[in-house]
Amino acid sequence: MQIDIPFIFTALTEIFKALPLTMIITLVPLMIGFLIGIGITLIRIRKVKGIYRLANFYVSFLRGTPALMHIMLIYLGLPLLIDKMAETFHWSIQSTSIPILLFVLMALSLTAGAYMSEIIRAGILAVDQGQLEAAESIGMTGFQAMRRIVFPQAIAISLPNLCNIFIGFLHTSSIAFIVSQKELTGAANIVASNNLKFLEAYIAAALIYWGLTIISEKVTALLEKRVTVYNRGGVA
Amino acid sequence: MDITLIVDFFPKLISYLHITLLILVAAVAIGLVIGVVIALIRIYKVPGFNQLALIYISFMRGTPILIQLFLIYFGLPTLLALVHIDVSRANPLLFVAITYGLSCGASFAEIIRGAVNGVEKGQTEAAYSIGMNEKQMMVRIILPQALVMAFPNFANSVIGSLKDTSLAFTIGVMDMVGRGNTLIASSLHALEVYITLSIIYYGVVICLEKGFSLSEKKLQRFEGSLAVDTK
Amino acid sequence: MIQLRNIQKSFGNQLVLKGIDLTVNKGEVVSILGPSGSGKTTLLRCINFLERPNEGQVIVDDFKVNSKQANKKEILTLRKKTAMVFQQYNLFKHKTVIENVMEGLIIVQKQPKETARKLAMEVIEKVGLTEKANAYPVQLSGGQQQRVGIARALALNPEVILLDEPTSALDPELVFEVLEVIKRIADEGITMIIVTHEVSFAKDVSDYIVFMDQGEVVEEGIPTVIFNNPKEERTKRFFKRINREEDNLESNLTNAI
Repeated sequence: MQIDIPFIFTALTEIFKALPLTMIITLVPLMIGFLIGIGITLIRIRKVKGIYRLANFYVSFLRGTPALMHIMLIYLGLPLLIDKMAETFHWSIQSTSIPILLFVLMALSLTAGAYMSEIIRAGILAVDQGQLEAAESIGMTGFQAMRRIVFPQAIAISLPNLCNIFIGFLHTSSIAFIVSQKELTGAANIVASNNLKFLEAYIAAALIYWGLTIISEKVTALLEKRVTVYNRGGVA
Repeated sequence: MDITLIVDFFPKLISYLHITLLILVAAVAIGLVIGVVIALIRIYKVPGFNQLALIYISFMRGTPILIQLFLIYFGLPTLLALVHIDVSRANPLLFVAITYGLSCGASFAEIIRGAVNGVEKGQTEAAYSIGMNEKQMMVRIILPQALVMAFPNFANSVIGSLKDTSLAFTIGVMDMVGRGNTLIASSLHALEVYITLSIIYYGVVICLEKGFSLSEKKLQRFEGSLAVDTK
Repeated sequence: MIQLRNIQKSFGNQLVLKGIDLTVNKGEVVSILGPSGSGKTTLLRCINFLERPNEGQVIVDDFKVNSKQANKKEILTLRKKTAMVFQQYNLFKHKTVIENVMEGLIIVQKQPKETARKLAMEVIEKVGLTEKANAYPVQLSGGQQQRVGIARALALNPEVILLDEPTSALDPELVFEVLEVIKRIADEGITMIIVTHEVSFAKDVSDYIVFMDQGEVVEEGIPTVIFNNPKEERTKRFFKRINREEDNLESNLTNAI
C-alpha cells in the first residue's frame, strides 16, 4: 500500500465543503452553552435553594461522562419522549421528522453548558473581591456590579479557557459523524470509503482540523493582547 | 423504555470495564514516558528535537482524537509495511493504546513543562548555592515539586482520556461501548444500553476523582493551607 | 580568605558593578551597606556565580575563578566552598526542616545519612528549632524559615556564608530572632558577608563595613570609623537619612502612644 499524495489534495477540497456544518455543530452548542453556563453559575454562586443541588449534579454528570453518551442519550431518548407526548396530547409532530442535527445540537449544548459554567465560575471567582466592593461602594446594585464590573473582567480572565473550550468542541463535533452527520469527519469518512483511500482522507481531515486549531489559537492570542491592556501594568 | 433492562445490561457491560481501564492504563503509561521525554526536550530546548516536539504537541492538540485514531489505525500498517512488518491483523487494542498514549504524551509534556517553569526561581538558586549541579537540582529539587504541582492537571487529563476511550469502538475494539453495540444489535434497546454505559462511566469518573483528590492531599502536604502548625 | 578582584557586571547596557575589589579575612564579618540599587546584592550573588560577573576574579580559600573562563566544574567547586542565605529564605518546599539541612550534606558532600542527620540536628539546635525539625517550611513563620535557611548554610561548614538581606522580608517583630542567631554565629568566628539594611545591627556585628553606591565601593573600614567619622559626602548623606528615618519612626511611635 502506498500513500497517494495528490489524492490528499483532492480529498482536502472535498472535505473542506463540510466545514460549515462543523462550525454549526461547534458554535451553536457553545453559544447556547454559554447562556446555560451563566444560569448555572448564578445558581451555584448564589446557592439558590432546591435547584442548587440539581445544578451541581448537572455539571458533575455531564463533565463525568463522554460526550458520545450525551449525543446518544438525547438522540435515542428524546424521540421516545416526544412521541409519547405527541400521543398523549395529540400533537401532530413525529420524532422521525426532526432532523438528527437538532438532537446533536441539543446534546452538545448541554455538554457545553456544563463546561462553560466551570469556566465562567472560575473567571468570576478570579476577579478580585475588592472590585465588587469598590463597585458597591460607589452605589451600584449587586446586578450592576456583576454586569458592569465583574463580568467583563471575568471574561478577560477566561479568554484562554474559552479558546480551549472552542478547540475542544471543534474536536468534539467530530463525534457527530457517529450519528451520520456529514461534517468534516463524516465527509472524510465518505470520501475515504468511496475511493477506498482511508489514510489519505483522514490526513486531509487532520490537516483541516489542525489548521483551524492553529488559527483559533492565533486569534485568541491577538484578542488577549487587546483585552488585557489594562492588566499589563507598568507605565505605558 | 424499560428500566429492568438496565439492571439486566449492567453486569453484561461492566464485565467489559477492564478493557476500558486497560486502554486507559496503557495510554497513561505510554503517555508518561513520552511526556517526560518531550518535556525535557522542550525545557532544555534540545536543537532539532525541540522543533519536532513542538510540531508533535501542536498536531495532537490540533486534531480530534477520533481522527488520530483513524490515522494510526490506517496509517501505522502502511508505515510498518515499508519495513516489512505486518500489523494489519493486529488486535485493534494495540492501535487504540498507541493513539491514546501519543495523545496523553502530548498533554503530559505540556503539563510537566508548565509545572517545571512554575517552580520558583529561588528554589533553583538555593540548590545551586549549596553546590548542587544541574542534574541534582533538576532531579532532587525541581521535578519533585513540579510533579506535585502538575498533579491536578494530570488527573484532569487522565479523566479526559477515560472519556475519550468511549470512541475506541469505532475501530472495532470490544470495550464497554463495543460490547454495548453488540447488545443493541441483539436486543434493539439502544437507549437502555447507553443509559447503562453512562452510569458506569460516571461511576468510574467519580471514583477516579475521589482517588485523585485523596492522593493530591497526601502529595501536597508541604504546599500549605493544611495543618499550619501553631505550636 | 575571600578576595574579589575588579568585579564588573552589567545588565544589558547598564553597568551595575564598576570594578569592585574586596578582601575578607577568615573569621571576619563584613557588612555591605548602601542605598537600594547600589549593586550590593548583585555583588554578593557574583561571589557564588548566581550572577556571572563580566569581568574579574573571585578567590575563595586559594581557589581562583576567573569570570570569563570559568567552566561549570569550577563554578561548582566555588559553590561548594560557599553558602547563601536568601532574602526570601528559599527553603526547599517539599522537604522538612531537617531534610533541608541534610540535603547538601548528603547530595553534595556525600556524607553518610546518619552523620548528616546528627550534624543537621546539632545545627538546628543552634538556631533553636529542634522542635520543628520535622515540620515543612510552610508550617513555619518567616523568622523560623530564615533560621532554617541559616542552619542549612551553616551545616555545610563553608569558607564563607553570604547573607542577602536576611531580614528584609520579615515582619518587624520577627527581625530580632534572626539577627540574634546571626550574631551568635558571628561570635563563633564564621566568615560572613552580609548585605543588609539594618544599620545598627551591622554596627553591632561587623568587623568591617563596606559602603556601596552606584556600583562602586564609596568607602570602607572598621565600623567605628565608618559610622562615627565618614569621609565621603555620599556616606554621610546615607547615614543622615537613615538616622532621620529612625528618628521619625521613633517620634511616630511616641506620638502614637
